[in-house]
Amino acid sequence: MKKKKTQIKTKKNAKYYKKMVARIIVYFILTVVGFVYLEPILEMLAKTLMSAEDVIDPSVTWIPKKPSLENLSFAATVLKLGTTLKNSILFAGALAIGQTFVASLTGFALSRYAFKGRKFFFAMLILAFIIPVPVLMVPRMMMFVVAQESLKFQLIGTVWPQLLMAFFGQGVYSTVLVLIFYTAFNMIPRVLDEAAEIDGASALKVYWFIVIKMSATTILVVFLFSFVWNWNETYITSTLLRGNLELLPSKLTLFNSEFDSVSKAVGGAFKLNEAFKMSATLISISPLLLLYAFVQKWFIQGIENTGITGE
Amino acid sequence: MAGNNIKKRFGFKKTYQGRQTRRGYAFMLPWIIGFTVFTLLPFLYTIYLSFMTVESTVTGYVITPNGWNNYYTAFFKNTEFVPALISFVGMVIPYTFVIIVVAFILAYLLNKIDVGKGFLRTIYFLPVIIMSGPVMSQILDDADEAILAAQGIEKSTNIFILQMIAEYSEPLANFMEGIFDQLTMILWFTGIPIVLFISALQKINPSLFEAAKIDMANEWQILWKIVIPMVKPTALVATVFIIVQLGTYDTTAVYNLIKTATGNTNGGLGYAATFAWIYCILILLIIGGAFVLFKDRDKKPGRR
Repeated sequence: MKKKKTQIKTKKNAKYYKKMVARIIVYFILTVVGFVYLEPILEMLAKTLMSAEDVIDPSVTWIPKKPSLENLSFAATVLKLGTTLKNSILFAGALAIGQTFVASLTGFALSRYAFKGRKFFFAMLILAFIIPVPVLMVPRMMMFVVAQESLKFQLIGTVWPQLLMAFFGQGVYSTVLVLIFYTAFNMIPRVLDEAAEIDGASALKVYWFIVIKMSATTILVVFLFSFVWNWNETYITSTLLRGNLELLPSKLTLFNSEFDSVSKAVGGAFKLNEAFKMSATLISISPLLLLYAFVQKWFIQGIENTGITGE
Repeated sequence: MAGNNIKKRFGFKKTYQGRQTRRGYAFMLPWIIGFTVFTLLPFLYTIYLSFMTVESTVTGYVITPNGWNNYYTAFFKNTEFVPALISFVGMVIPYTFVIIVVAFILAYLLNKIDVGKGFLRTIYFLPVIIMSGPVMSQILDDADEAILAAQGIEKSTNIFILQMIAEYSEPLANFMEGIFDQLTMILWFTGIPIVLFISALQKINPSLFEAAKIDMANEWQILWKIVIPMVKPTALVATVFIIVQLGTYDTTAVYNLIKTATGNTNGGLGYAATFAWIYCILILLIIGGAFVLFKDRDKKPGRR
């Protein structure tokens, strides 16, 4: 009798240990791979804090011997942090607001109304995503040039082309945003719309008071995606804006070439090295990192609840 | 009478269906206008332009027909274009494959754990936020220099297992070395696919797993018979997303070629359109290939 009991116990124990081992392996893999993810950022941080001697010193890889904030402050000067940061936030923010709004309208139409040609527009939505942006840029540019000449209104080199595209649902990865809204709206029960409609609510009222008010997390997720993508976008911006508005990511592309001239203007004391490059990169991503740190809880929840597949 | 007919044809009637159509279009309107003006027309115009020479003059654009000359130049005269295309295909296919597999494994593992879930997910979603051209090129620039420095000392691989593989097949070893060299970059592309896979994994009905466990299935069988078939549609979405993302990734050679051709104002725009159009066909072909690969073979009716 007693023997049997212990046997059961050891069997249970064996199962328990097996599970523990499996779990440890899983955590091990995730931590190791997670480190590979973080490595560039950690390296950036380490290099940022290094002084010029530490960069050359082969015995210093991670922890600088003489940490200094000199790199950071000079990189900020080269990037013209004050103006570029403000411009970037306003520009990406405006584009993101436009994209989010139009994506919500489109997602609402696709989710709520069985109109004729709905399937066709779905196909077009996917097509708009698949066509590579470079294919569209030549005619788009020509179109804006022709438009600005006939309207006598400067378009190329201003923020208008991109704002127009964002507010008409053709910004960066707009399709994905529409699909996020589409899936999220599909999860809101239709009974609510019908109840509101019986009480005399118009379509706009249903859109605003029921669907939009119930999808705060989705809106946050979409806005954040849009903001980040617009922030990181440099190709369309460089073609249409032509550097007339100084933005942080585009300044980063020019960092290597602009470094020397700024350095000379200051007195020529600085030489371009890894530490400066990494400081500049860190500065240009830190607004996004900060934003992510503040909203990541809702962001991850939102992603997991709604998903962005749109099946 | 005619007006009535048009109304009937487009469904603007005072019926339920009519109202659905009307409202649907009303909400879709901004997107439809934008799509037509900024995407569809430029897309068609690119095809037209690819047969033209475009010159930018003081008075405006001068467009003259050029027949197949642009294509001839792209394929036979320009020495950079075809190698760039080939290297692009050579990059996209292995990358996509590795990214999908790695993303799925990571998502599966992330979905298994409960302690420290939030912290690990924060790390793994990070590439979604930071992934961008300038940042990547600054980081990769650094990595390239390191690789070049390493190459100065010893050229061939120094990893023992890869040397063993190279004994049997040189290309395979080179391929694997390439993967390991650029592992960081590949991992940074997994951001969105991981997000997609996690949300797909969480949508699987837990009772399926219970039923499988009652039937004595082990974890491995559950993974292959339930999880993978269930996330297959998501894998397709993720594949398309990766291909599109790689296609617009700044450092690919084709992309830069198109960019410089676009910047070249005297006569360059026609070539740029041709390059872009060929590039587009190529990407569409690759995506089509992905669709064929992920198509459910069992679902075909009348075949067993």
